[in-house]
Amino acid sequence: MEFAVKFLDGFESFVGVNFWTMIFAWCNLLILYLLMKKFLFKPIKNMIDSRQKEVDDMYSSAEDAERRAHELEAEYEEKISAAKEESEEIVRTAQRRAVLREEEIIREAEATAERIKERAEEEIELERRRAVNEIKDEVSSMAISIAEAVIERDISEGEHKDLIDSFIDKMGDEE
Amino acid sequence: MDLSVTGPKEYITLYIGDFELPLVTQTTITLIVATVILIALSLAVSKRVAKRPGGLQVLAEKLVTMLYNMVEETMGKHNLKFAPYIGTLFASSFLCSLLGMTGVLRSATADLSVTLAWAIVTSVMVWYHSIKANGFLGWLKGFTEPIVVMTPMNIVSEIAQPLSMAFRHFGNVAGGSVLTALIYGALAALNNVVFRWLPEAIFDIFPPIFQAGIPAILSLYFDLFSGFVQAFVFCLLTMVYVGSACPPPADEAVPESEEISAEVSAD
Repeated sequence: MEFAVKFLDGFESFVGVNFWTMIFAWCNLLILYLLMKKFLFKPIKNMIDSRQKEVDDMYSSAEDAERRAHELEAEYEEKISAAKEESEEIVRTAQRRAVLREEEIIREAEATAERIKERAEEEIELERRRAVNEIKDEVSSMAISIAEAVIERDISEGEHKDLIDSFIDKMGDEE
Repeated sequence: MDLSVTGPKEYITLYIGDFELPLVTQTTITLIVATVILIALSLAVSKRVAKRPGGLQVLAEKLVTMLYNMVEETMGKHNLKFAPYIGTLFASSFLCSLLGMTGVLRSATADLSVTLAWAIVTSVMVWYHSIKANGFLGWLKGFTEPIVVMTPMNIVSEIAQPLSMAFRHFGNVAGGSVLTALIYGALAALNNVVFRWLPEAIFDIFPPIFQAGIPAILSLYFDLFSGFVQAFVFCLLTMVYVGSACPPPADEAVPESEEISAEVSAD
């Protein structure tokens, strides 16, 4: 066997297969595949996927927040309307009670006034009677003394006093 | 004027008896350069992967997203694990084609050895997954379907599959470079014809002005467009072949059909 190495020994045939070049092409392809997979496709794809996931998460969390906000809104609206109703109810009750109380007070006042008026009338009546009685007494004694003075003679005090009293009684009754 | 169509330059050739083994060729160099460039780009991107991406990362993310979407559409969600390989294949193929534009390097994809190597990888993946899914005997039995008479045809088509992939890619890129060389030659000839009236002293140093411009426009098609399309086609075929060898698992197939029926009812 004879070995020889030649440099720049012309050209390969235009359409030909060189097994050594094929092996070389395979090795190159394998090395490129491994390196590009490790340094290009894997990291870039992972980055794209993780970014996609992040965006998806953001959207879903935003949707969650929106839904929760809507729920809270509905809840608060419900609470507010309930509170409004309650306050209206309170005001209505208070008004009703106030009207009742007002009527009661007026009634009491009227009753008190009535009582006071009755007592005053009673007192007036009493006063009047007493005054009438006093006047009667005074008039009777005045009449006696006048009668004594006018008709000194013949009149015994005892006899005529009865007469005069009965007269004055009549007078008082006529009043 | 001589115009020769040759394969890649042999830089170091090993002779063992009568056997000739070109160890380092233009193709080898192109492959190394492409590999180094892609690794450097990958490292540059991965060095500053951040949640808030910089310019380079945005571009890388866009490309990676497109890649994963395409793999998912073509092969299904369960085959997303192939996406890095498809991406590597596409980047290698496109860059190896583009490097031919440098003039120093020769497109590695214009070497049948490279495209055949890649196509064989695709076939091996298909065979591996078929055998894994059906068992070795099940895989062999698949050649007799739909009827036994079809067996030779099936075997031929199985062999033709990587060959056609390899030749398609190789032929497009190599053909492009041949056409470019032809056009350069034609333009040089045109130059000679048009400027023959010049004095000999000036004619000898006169620049071939017709070679400026026109080849650049053609290069847009033959290198850029063709390189992209061939890389795309090669990856698409790989995805289709491997994808059909890896059907969706049975437990995933059921909800998928339910999904479809649900969509139909929703419409």
